[in-house]
Order: sequence, then structure tokens, then C-alpha cells
Amino acid sequence: MKRTFLAVLGAGLVALGTGVPAWAHHSFAAAYDMGNTITVHGVINQVLLRNPHSWFVIDVKDASGKVEQWSFEAGTPSGMIRNGYKPDIIKAGAEVTIKGFRARDASQNRGMLSQLTTADGKTYGMFGPQEGPGK
Amino acid sequence: MTRSILTGAVAIGLVWSTAGTARLAAQSAKAASSSAIPRTADGHPDLSGVWWRGADVGGRTASGASPTAPARGPGGEPAPTFPSLYSPAAAAKAKTLSDKDDPALGCTNTAFGTLNVSLFDVGAVGQIVQTPKFVIMLTETYNSFQIIPIDGRPRRDAVPPSNRGDAIGHWEGDTLVVDKTNFTDTSWIYAEGRVSYHSDALHMVERYRRVDANTLEIDATLEDPKVLTKPWVVPKQTLVLAPFDQIMELACSNETQSLVEGASKQASAK
Repeated sequence: MKRTFLAVLGAGLVALGTGVPAWAHHSFAAAYDMGNTITVHGVINQVLLRNPHSWFVIDVKDASGKVEQWSFEAGTPSGMIRNGYKPDIIKAGAEVTIKGFRARDASQNRGMLSQLTTADGKTYGMFGPQEGPGK
Repeated sequence: MTRSILTGAVAIGLVWSTAGTARLAAQSAKAASSSAIPRTADGHPDLSGVWWRGADVGGRTASGASPTAPARGPGGEPAPTFPSLYSPAAAAKAKTLSDKDDPALGCTNTAFGTLNVSLFDVGAVGQIVQTPKFVIMLTETYNSFQIIPIDGRPRRDAVPPSNRGDAIGHWEGDTLVVDKTNFTDTSWIYAEGRVSYHSDALHMVERYRRVDANTLEIDATLEDPKVLTKPWVVPKQTLVLAPFDQIMELACSNETQSLVEGASKQASAK
């Protein structure tokens, strides 16, 4: 099942156990369907710690072996770092599972990240490891 | 009976004494806190420091509140916002805009600040550096700065309009008053896709007061007679010193915008 694209639609916000940020540099609610949750498993292509928001770009292989690229939007990099995220902690080639909310524009392989899990089981939220502010 | 009365009297006395001690301690702490306001050599309060609302975006303050919680009025109702005071014509124009028109998506600074704090601009933290001549406000998320002369010089002329305006400051007692004009009409008041355009007549007056060593209060009034029916009195903002003394330099990239616009379309599959 490794590197298999799993799209789970309509699982709902509560199922993920995450909150929707009420604040963002653009309207998350306008860009993403909070009732349309997805889970994607793949390999990190690149991590962009850029303002206004960071992005995790991953390569996902479907059952036929075709690779598609997905991009997941995360938090402001400074906030992620102050919450304990280390800039080099997730590198290209790392195997990850990302849960999130799919873009309203279904023609795009894009989502809002709610949880990223690495192969060794470590989890990160939209703003990093969620260790609290200023750590 | 006598014993009960005595016991009660002692208890009341203890409570009174304890309350009195607490009052005195509070007064003493307040006095100490007030006297602890850092001051520069010329005697003015030193506003230098990294300021935030007690937590970063995504975190929680000591009270458990979100640092990005929207402002509320005295009765808990949503506080007025800049767009809530639009004239009918301005409101009609606003209806033609959407979050996709937000200049901040393309890394343009806001004119004011997405959390009603211009020191933050886009973001939830900012740094002040104070010198005898200037108060310099540095914003993190979009890497902008505002240099505010405080040495009594007149406002500059022949300065082109800017997205954050041209600022001049003066002291009224312990309060720093900052007056900003000369804005472009190409930035918005907020980011996050909240339609909040303004005109080049935007005028902003902010009042900064370091009420104790760890607390900075900010009052602001924005007027824009071309689009507002009356000045917008911004809810008072109370910031605290952050537990770090240096903000970060992180680029805002239009590459992000291209991703937002669909660089990750399925056509990009390898």
C-alpha cells in the first residue's frame, strides 16, 4: 500500500480532530472544502518554508504506478519554527502521510494540511509539532 | 457563644488583614511594574522589544485564548471593522472584489494590519527598535519596516506614496503618537482575503503606551473620507513582550502565489 494515493472524501472535520484556523493570509474557507478531507501517502518532493504560508509538495504514486504531484499548504514558517518545527527536519525523499482538506477547485491536486505523519510516526500539525508558542 | 463571636471576629480580621495585604501587594506590584518601564537617556519610555499577543499563530496565550481571535465589543458583539464603515458606493465596489483580489497573496504589505496591529502587518509578531531620533517598527511575515522620526522634524515632502504610508511621531507625555499619511491605494487594510480596500486619502493616527515593563497598549484611529462614512476607531490592542528578542527574516515569495493559482494541477504529474 506504500506510496499509494488514498483519497478519502467527506470524512468531515471532526474525524480529523483538528480545528480550522480562523485566521490566514487568504481565506482558507474559500480555497478549501472543509467537508472534503483527504489522506495522501507519498514522498516529499520539496518543502517551501515561504511566506505567507509554507507548502509541502509530495509525489504520490497511484495503484497503476503513475506519479502525481500534490501540494499541501501549511502555516506561516516563523510560527511553525517557533512551535518547534526545524527547517531541515523533513527533507526531500522522506516518506509521509498527509491529512488535509481538498481544494475547492477539484482540478488541482492541492489541499490544506491538517496533519503530516513521517515514516517513524512523528506527527506535525499545520503549525509544526504543536509544542506551544515560543518554544 | 462568646467563643464563636471571637472566632468570627478573628476570622473576619484575618480576611480583612489578608485582603489588605493583598491590596498593598497589588499596589506595590503596580508601582514596581510602573517604575520598571524602561526609559531611554532622554527620559522617554523605551518601546524597544519584540511584541505579540502572548502566542504565535497556531498557539494559545497563557489564558488559553487564540492570539488571532477577532476583536469583540463590550457586549461581546463583533467589533466594527474598516469595511463595516464603507459608504454605500464603497460597499458596492467591495462587492466586486473577492479574496482572490487580495494584494497580500502577491506579497504586498497591508496598509494597517490583519490583526488590527500595524506593528504586525501580516503576521502576529513585530519588533520595535528605538533610537533618539527614530522609532523603527519591523514586521516579520512580509519583512517590512517603518521608520518613524521622533526628533521633532517636519514630515517629509516629495516622498512617493507607499503601501504602509509615511509616518511621523511625537511624544505626548509617555505616549508615542504616530501619524501616517501618503498611502497608495493599492494595498488593503487587512490580509487573509478580507476585502478591505482603501483610498489614497487614508490617514492613520496611532498611540503607543508602554504601561509596564511587559505591556504595550495601542490605540488607533483610521479615517478615509473617500470610502468611509466616519473614522474607524480600532479596538484597543494590548501586546506583551515575546520570550525572544529577534524576529525572523523569511521571504515572501510569489512562487507561493503560483502554487495557489494551480502549479500543482494534475497536469504536473510526472
